[in-house]
Amino acid sequence: MTYVIAQPCVDLKDKACVDECPVDCIYEGARKLYINPDECVDCGACEPVCPVEAIYFEDDLPDGWTDFRRADTEFFADLGAPGGAAGVGPADRDHPVVAELPVPASS
Amino acid sequence: MPVEALTLVPKAEARQTPKDFKSDQEVRWCPGCGDYAILAAVQGFMPELGLARENIVFVSGIGCSSRFPYYMNTYGMHSIHGRAPAIATGLAASRRDLSVWVVTGDGDALSIGGNHLIHALRRNVNLKILLFNNRIYGLTKGQYSPTSEVGKITKSTPMGSLDAPFNPVSLALGAEASFVARTVDSDRKHLTETLRQAAAHPGTALIEIYQNCNIFNDGAYDVLKDKQSAEEAVIRLEHGRPIRFGADGARGVVRDRATGDLEVVTVTPDNESDVLVHDAHAATPTTAFALSRLADPTTLNHTPIGVFRSVERPVYDTLMADQLDTAIEQHGKGDLALLLAGNDTWTVESAS
Repeated sequence: MTYVIAQPCVDLKDKACVDECPVDCIYEGARKLYINPDECVDCGACEPVCPVEAIYFEDDLPDGWTDFRRADTEFFADLGAPGGAAGVGPADRDHPVVAELPVPASS
Repeated sequence: MPVEALTLVPKAEARQTPKDFKSDQEVRWCPGCGDYAILAAVQGFMPELGLARENIVFVSGIGCSSRFPYYMNTYGMHSIHGRAPAIATGLAASRRDLSVWVVTGDGDALSIGGNHLIHALRRNVNLKILLFNNRIYGLTKGQYSPTSEVGKITKSTPMGSLDAPFNPVSLALGAEASFVARTVDSDRKHLTETLRQAAAHPGTALIEIYQNCNIFNDGAYDVLKDKQSAEEAVIRLEHGRPIRFGADGARGVVRDRATGDLEVVTVTPDNESDVLVHDAHAATPTTAFALSRLADPTTLNHTPIGVFRSVERPVYDTLMADQLDTAIEQHGKGDLALLLAGNDTWTVESAS
């Protein structure tokens, strides 16, 4: 079980959750933050601090966003569980579920 | 993994996964609590032992940490405040086919249960004790605990705590513990490795786990967790390795020749050969105790983590079983009813 970061985080990346996570399992992609399902300990600290309500327990993901469960898992296919996002730094890539979302017109 | 301490415990029939150790109970600690990280690490480690779940028991006392048995899909008991070591002692001594774990906290183990803890340690019962130390009473909403630093301001000590804190590792070593280790909740790898070594130890193993209470004592161990400060603050003990830490191992632990005490020095070519090599299996606990005194109790600077001491000595359960066998051999199996109604009994008659 794990928490998952869904659509509202895309192109926003507030990162309030990163400060809150006690095990440093929230990793930064190019357009979204990703929770490492193998490192998440299900403590739920991230969920209430997200200003845009992007974080859900995997079983509670709204119907339209269930693909983000797959995105957060597959994002770590090559990375595995490196034991903390701080040592890895931001990645310049995204999972296709995120990468294929339209980029908002810059204001 | 073959583990000497667990040879009498039946193995699982099928390969296990961490999910097999998750119960159907909703985990109820505060969001962000370090207990979640410890739970995940324990559930992640248990499949490695490959023991039948029905032969594993988690016994806890009272406190936040003591909710642990509900969340493990094994046998368990949320027992009496401070008495988990006593209950677990009875269980482990009478049922050597069980893997018995105790989950306790700094309040449960060191305040009300202080006596039970030290006697379990000296008896060397085959128990693995996980002591979650958050340096505060969390369940009762934030009073100072036996490990809180002097001057701690809480609701029950508005002008600061006057009590000198316990050092659980020093205490355990003083109580003749045969295995003593310290680890940190958020370091999954180190925590898992420590659990592995404790599980393999025949006898009582005490693991002090530094655990963050993000509600009532948030950041108590930040100095050990922040990557930059940890380099100078944390001393990782590894058996057989020189005790060095800091950037590129620039700092080391040496013995002061005049007092025999340990001190931290900057390593130079001149003193490099004096750096102490960690020996967890040393016959006497003297050096392990000195290591446990290195950390500053207020700032936590120079905190050693890892296995301080791991030595083999007779295990209580084995001694007791042997003694029972000998007694039966010498005197026959015995009859409890006969014993109860034996010579030294009397009847109190009513006065009329």
